[in-house]
Amino acid sequence: MKKQLKKTVQELEQPNVDLSVDYTAVDQEPQKQRPMGREYPLARNRMPEKQLFEFAEYKSMDAERISYSNYSYWKSVWQNFLKKKPAVIMSVIFILLIIFTFIAPLISKYTIETARIDYDKMFTSPNGEYWFGTDNMGRDYWCQVWHATRTSIFLAVLVAAGEIILGTIIGLLWGYVRSLDRFFTELYNFINNVPTIIYMTLIALMVGKSFLVMALAMIFFNWLSTARNVRNLVLMYRDREYNLASRCLGTSIGRILAKNILPYLVSVIILRLALAIPGTIAYETTLTYLGLMDVTRPSLGILLRNARTYFLDYPYLLIFPAGIVSIITITFYLVGNAFSDACDPRNHV
Amino acid sequence: MSEALRKTVDFEARARQVLSQVPLLSAKEVEVTFSLRGQKLTAIRRASLDLYEGETLAIVGESGSGKSVFTKCFVGMLDKNGSITHGSIEYEGQDLTQFREQDWLRIRGRKIAMVTQDPMTSLNPLKTIGKQIQESVELHQGLRGLAAKKETLRILEAVGIPNPEVRYKQYPHEFSGGMRQRVVIATAVACKPQILICDEPTTALDVTIQAQILDLIRRLQREQNMTIIYITHDLGVVANVADRVAVMYAGQIIEIGMANEVFFDPWHPYTWALLSALPQLGVKGEKLPAIDGTPPNLFNKIQGDAFAPRNRHALNIDFLEEPPMYEVTATHQVKAWLRDPRAPKVEQPKSILRLSEQSQKSEIDTGASHPHLDPNREALIEVKNMQVTFGTGRRKFIAVDDVNFTIYKGETFSLVGESGSGKTTIGRAIVRINPITGGEVLFRGERISGKISRELDTKVIRSMQMIFQDPMASLNERAKVDYIVSEGLINFHMYKDEHDRQDKVQKALQEVGLLPEFSSRFPHEFSGGQRQRIGIARSLIMQPEFIVADEPISALDVSIRAQVLNLLNDLKKSRSLTYLFIAHDLSVVRFISDRIAVIHKGRIVELAESEELFLHPLHPYTKALLSAVPNPNPYVERAKSLLVYDPTVHDYRVDKPVWEEILPGHFVYGNARELDGYRREVEL
Repeated sequence: MKKQLKKTVQELEQPNVDLSVDYTAVDQEPQKQRPMGREYPLARNRMPEKQLFEFAEYKSMDAERISYSNYSYWKSVWQNFLKKKPAVIMSVIFILLIIFTFIAPLISKYTIETARIDYDKMFTSPNGEYWFGTDNMGRDYWCQVWHATRTSIFLAVLVAAGEIILGTIIGLLWGYVRSLDRFFTELYNFINNVPTIIYMTLIALMVGKSFLVMALAMIFFNWLSTARNVRNLVLMYRDREYNLASRCLGTSIGRILAKNILPYLVSVIILRLALAIPGTIAYETTLTYLGLMDVTRPSLGILLRNARTYFLDYPYLLIFPAGIVSIITITFYLVGNAFSDACDPRNHV
Repeated sequence: MSEALRKTVDFEARARQVLSQVPLLSAKEVEVTFSLRGQKLTAIRRASLDLYEGETLAIVGESGSGKSVFTKCFVGMLDKNGSITHGSIEYEGQDLTQFREQDWLRIRGRKIAMVTQDPMTSLNPLKTIGKQIQESVELHQGLRGLAAKKETLRILEAVGIPNPEVRYKQYPHEFSGGMRQRVVIATAVACKPQILICDEPTTALDVTIQAQILDLIRRLQREQNMTIIYITHDLGVVANVADRVAVMYAGQIIEIGMANEVFFDPWHPYTWALLSALPQLGVKGEKLPAIDGTPPNLFNKIQGDAFAPRNRHALNIDFLEEPPMYEVTATHQVKAWLRDPRAPKVEQPKSILRLSEQSQKSEIDTGASHPHLDPNREALIEVKNMQVTFGTGRRKFIAVDDVNFTIYKGETFSLVGESGSGKTTIGRAIVRINPITGGEVLFRGERISGKISRELDTKVIRSMQMIFQDPMASLNERAKVDYIVSEGLINFHMYKDEHDRQDKVQKALQEVGLLPEFSSRFPHEFSGGQRQRIGIARSLIMQPEFIVADEPISALDVSIRAQVLNLLNDLKKSRSLTYLFIAHDLSVVRFISDRIAVIHKGRIVELAESEELFLHPLHPYTKALLSAVPNPNPYVERAKSLLVYDPTVHDYRVDKPVWEEILPGHFVYGNARELDGYRREVEL
């Protein structure tokens, strides 16, 4: 091949080669002319050959141009999220479920206030009158289930949001401010070494078991794991060069945390939030089972606890609330995963 | 360059040898594509290469040029999402592109072996060094038991590891970086391969260690008659090892020839640009000929010559049609339209000619002023007895010990040292990221270390800024350029209104050579050089007087480095800045600095004016460091004699060392006896 190439060049260098020859003609033997090159369908007709071999104008800003298009972080997040079909379907179902908790009492014959105890009608299977049947005291189950769903979701969102916000703030400070590390580590150990159930029992007995008290108590003892998780992530980012740069520029700790570190934790925080919601519902069920929750307002936990005694004979009592708990759990699991993936900019582009 | 020097390497004989041979391995029109998230990236665009027995072929290119990917095809180690979509690789009568995984087992490691870049990750931390080499010996040479162990010990000795019996039982963490790379080389050569591919084997190592590893590879090649493919971005390394050089750009080989041909008579504008951008060939005080822009995005289809948009010698045809390979000599081919007989005649740039004239101890003409020699000089930063320690109690580690120096207004003061010497720690201690544990730092005569008033703190922040090493890590990926650049402005409310702020950001971007509209982009959209310039804009917006530049170009590609160096020099003039320039690359330091301090294990051992230090180094460590500096002239590079620094030559038990000014402006660290020796040396 080398010899062949040499010959080609020699031919070209011979003075008798007519250089004004039509360029397309030279190209008729592409194998000879461009032994190692690659054939191109050319735009050569557009330019006369003489001009082809003139210097082109040099534009330094052309060289500086970057090839990416405009990019928006949240738009990419949203687009990536929409690609995850199961998560999208489940979130639509979940939204319908929430809307339905408001519609359901309107279309049923009974409301939570009008559902009276009637021992003649106990354990009525679902029928035209009682769409979800009746419970062990003959009350309409339909209105109870939907009311409970609404209460539970409200509690779950409240507690989950509370514990994530508190946990994130504490975790950020714990991780970033070196002098606070010792204090928070000891606090963490202090609270975490005693099972939270014991604290909850104490609070229920001493302060009372109203909805609000228990919600606050749950927030107060659940932030720990989030804070620990956030702290460990902050340690990963704390000494990166861009944070050193911010410190050189005199940026305050608050802004460094908010602008330089928090955005990197979004996907983890969202995942934790999504998992905290079904987690809270399960926790509430446990607390109810132990009798630590206010039972005057039905919640999914209370329904499940009641159903536990009778479900072998009357399975519908378990199936309805358990079905709703499953939908909530699966939705948040899928949505949380999909959203945290979508939030990770490595999955963009 | 003297005739005697020219005779040291006989490239003509090697060229004849190459021409008379049949290629050992022959890659023809290889095309490699990767699929990434539904997009197709053509990493290698029909590159061809012949490899001849017994030669050392260096492949040079920037990151992303495909040099690694190309050679990975020869051992079947492409990533899962990549495949060879065109061409053939012929080796021993077989086409390697048709190989299946089980076919590779016969070739990979036995016939063609590979040494990778990072010695920290290419060894298994849970196995002893001996076991890892022995594994390779047992697998490929079929030796068992005692025979295998014997062979392993022999190999360890051959790669220059002292006490092989002891080292055999040790784990990778007990080895230094250079030693680990020796072990990696040992595992690669254990089965006596015919071809050894070295993928940037010394990039992660210090210069003095790098020189030793290069020597080792050369010795092994001679002993085992191996053929070596050497992948690197460092032209000094190429000059040291290569018989032949192939230059890659955007997935193609654009120039290939004997080392002397490519270095002294290159014909591709990219090779010109690459060589001219070397600080070794620059004239101090002048701009380096930089290459604008960045390499092309290989996701797009490339029309014409890929280098055309950055090429100052581009012809119209370069934008339309890809050039063929033209032959300069029988061994030297160039893929550039400039070699076409119809193209206008061009001369090679002057800096290329300067390369062949270079001798070993050339004096760079210094037109620069000497602010540190001016009697009315103004001390900007004074470091007095600085000590920085990390950890407490038994785990206490002294990173910087008893360091003294003064930086005068308007000068570029460089700190040079190997990794772990404490140079970055000093820089960070001055801008107060790391607290100092002893001594003090003065700024314009005021103490700024330790507890200071809020007023002074604000003043110091605004007048002292830092530029960081890794442009990938030093920008907040989740913030727009607009926020990143104006962060300092926001902190001190240094703007009237929103419009004024944006105006200032755009001015800062323009000052560093970026388009003002880049302010609405995110950092990941930029290349390394552009990101580094954003980092510079971020510190400039504070209107600082003093900038600590912590290895600002070491993470950048060769072609990009010149851009940043020029920018730093321009800013120094236009804004009368003072720099503390931290670096490990002495050729860059020589080009940019007025004074240089050499630091070794947390102590400054020598400090002098830049040229004075290069021409009359006194401390043995400085001498060793200077002897290892890579030179892009193959003759000079191969003729250089390497000095090795042995810290045990100092006997400081009785005779305590001091920091002494031996000549005006030339400081050395040593005890009375050594200082006497240095004085005598100076007089000679």
